[in-house]
Amino acid sequence: MQITFTVNGEERELEVTPYTRLLDLLREDLGLTGVKEGCGKGECGACTVIMNGELTASCLVPAPQADQAEILTVEGLGTRDDLHPIQESFVEAGAVQCGYCIPGMILAGKRLLDENPQPTEKEVRYGLSGNICRCTGYAKIIDAVMMAADKLAVEGSDSND
Amino acid sequence: MIRKSPMKQENRQTISGADFEEYFQPQNLEKALEIKAEYSDQIEVAAGTTDLLVANYEQLHQIKNWLDLDKIDELRKIEILENELHIGAMVTHLQLMKSDLIKEKLAVLAAAAEDVGSPQIRSRGTIGGNICTSSPAGDLLAPLLSYEASFKLQKAGAERIVRAEDFFTGPKRNLMEADELLTEIIIPLTENEREGAWVKVGRRKALVISTLTLSVVLEFEADKIIEAGIALGSVAPTPIRLWEVGELMLGSSLTELDYKQLGQEVKARINPIDDLRGTREYREDVAADVMVRALNEIERKRG
Ligand SMILES: Cc1cc2nc3c(=O)[nH]c(=O)nc-3n(C[C@H](O)[C@H](O)[C@H](O)COP(=O)(O)OP(=O)(O)OC[C@H]3O[C@@H](n4cnc5c(N)ncnc54)[C@H](O)[C@@H]3O)c2cc1C
Ligand code: FES
Ligand code: FES
Repeated sequence: MQITFTVNGEERELEVTPYTRLLDLLREDLGLTGVKEGCGKGECGACTVIMNGELTASCLVPAPQADQAEILTVEGLGTRDDLHPIQESFVEAGAVQCGYCIPGMILAGKRLLDENPQPTEKEVRYGLSGNICRCTGYAKIIDAVMMAADKLAVEGSDSND
Repeated sequence: MIRKSPMKQENRQTISGADFEEYFQPQNLEKALEIKAEYSDQIEVAAGTTDLLVANYEQLHQIKNWLDLDKIDELRKIEILENELHIGAMVTHLQLMKSDLIKEKLAVLAAAAEDVGSPQIRSRGTIGGNICTSSPAGDLLAPLLSYEASFKLQKAGAERIVRAEDFFTGPKRNLMEADELLTEIIIPLTENEREGAWVKVGRRKALVISTLTLSVVLEFEADKIIEAGIALGSVAPTPIRLWEVGELMLGSSLTELDYKQLGQEVKARINPIDDLRGTREYREDVAADVMVRALNEIERKRG
């Protein structure tokens, strides 16, 4: 069966089966390997994408349910030369160890800041609660999201001037 | 521009002979009910798929026929009709916790939805899926018992309304027939003041399977309690409503109640499951404690 969806701003049409997960579709068919597979069961958040504006575990989405959806992966956020402020903050805070959880963490951070630009630490923890870091670098990851909030606030006020 | 990308077959997990036959994604309920009537138990119903995909991990290809409710907008409504709140089966946990109507009228249900899994699970998991999975640990189930919810079960050309309390018959078992779909959750509203509390005890904040949940919904006329919906999850094969404990509270004001004694009454009536998530004695003691906590919280909220 055929589905059409938008990934990182680009419209795609793909042939899928119901047992293809959105995760497989993104990684294997579209080569978006920033989407990671950890547990495959919704528990770790490594496969997180933003689908229709909400955090989604792509390992739990049968491909046909992504039909007509708008999807953002970490690849759509910034490039190596032009990092998104959240990505910059993760680098500057030294939040990245093995890196496996980071794309999911970054997207969870972005989704949180979109809705709540000045979160408390507790709100950051709640926003990232579906993402597990096996290297247990939570403190720095939370710092990075708080740092990104400040960066985005400054950027926002700049562009308003 | 639309880019066409062919599916790379070689990358797929092994498909051991089996393959799917039909994937239905109807746009309206009527069509869905027709399909369900035709295929009965030979089709898997897919809502937010957070339970379905985990239950079928690595064997998704063995599902022959799919009935996907995702595109049926009429099942995503939250509305008041004749002093009842109607919640469509495809309403997600995220929708529940964000809805002003739910927060105002059914605060305990909103609080329970907020405690489900993680943001990634709440954005997809539905109230209908939570009910149909019928896990004794389903977080929305105790609040639904407290609010005296009923479920609308429909099949082609017919429907019936079943009380939440009668619906659950055992762990992962319920009264739904193979040709039926759950379409709506119906909750009676009241003009009286309703105040409640939700407590979930688990090992870790997110992603826990509840070791115990308690939902308390009290209805007041002036200061007197005229309805008391006390319900627990994860302490028995199904979520349970403690009618007798509720009755002990009727006619009293909060200040006239002995919270500790009520905690013991709760403890005396539950039959916890002894499993890895918490021993029996642990759960009994916790049940007594959380009852006291819930009543204190309600007292605080009423000021
Ligand atoms: C990591 C993780 C954490 C979780 N944490 C929690 C938690 O904290 N608390 C909690 O309560 N649950 C939790 N769950 C379980 C699950 O997310 C919820 O039960 C959710 O509400 C299920 O809804 P769904 O729409 O995803 O159901 P689906 O998986 O789509 O369906 C579940 C079952 O119900 C059937 N079904 C669904 N809708 C209907 C309908 N309208 N009519 C007939 N049959 C139907 C399906 O056929 C299937 O058998 C968690 C799950 C995961 C993977
Ligand atoms: S791989 Fe999807 S949540 Fe772990
Ligand atoms: S950095 Fe290694 S899992 Fe988080």
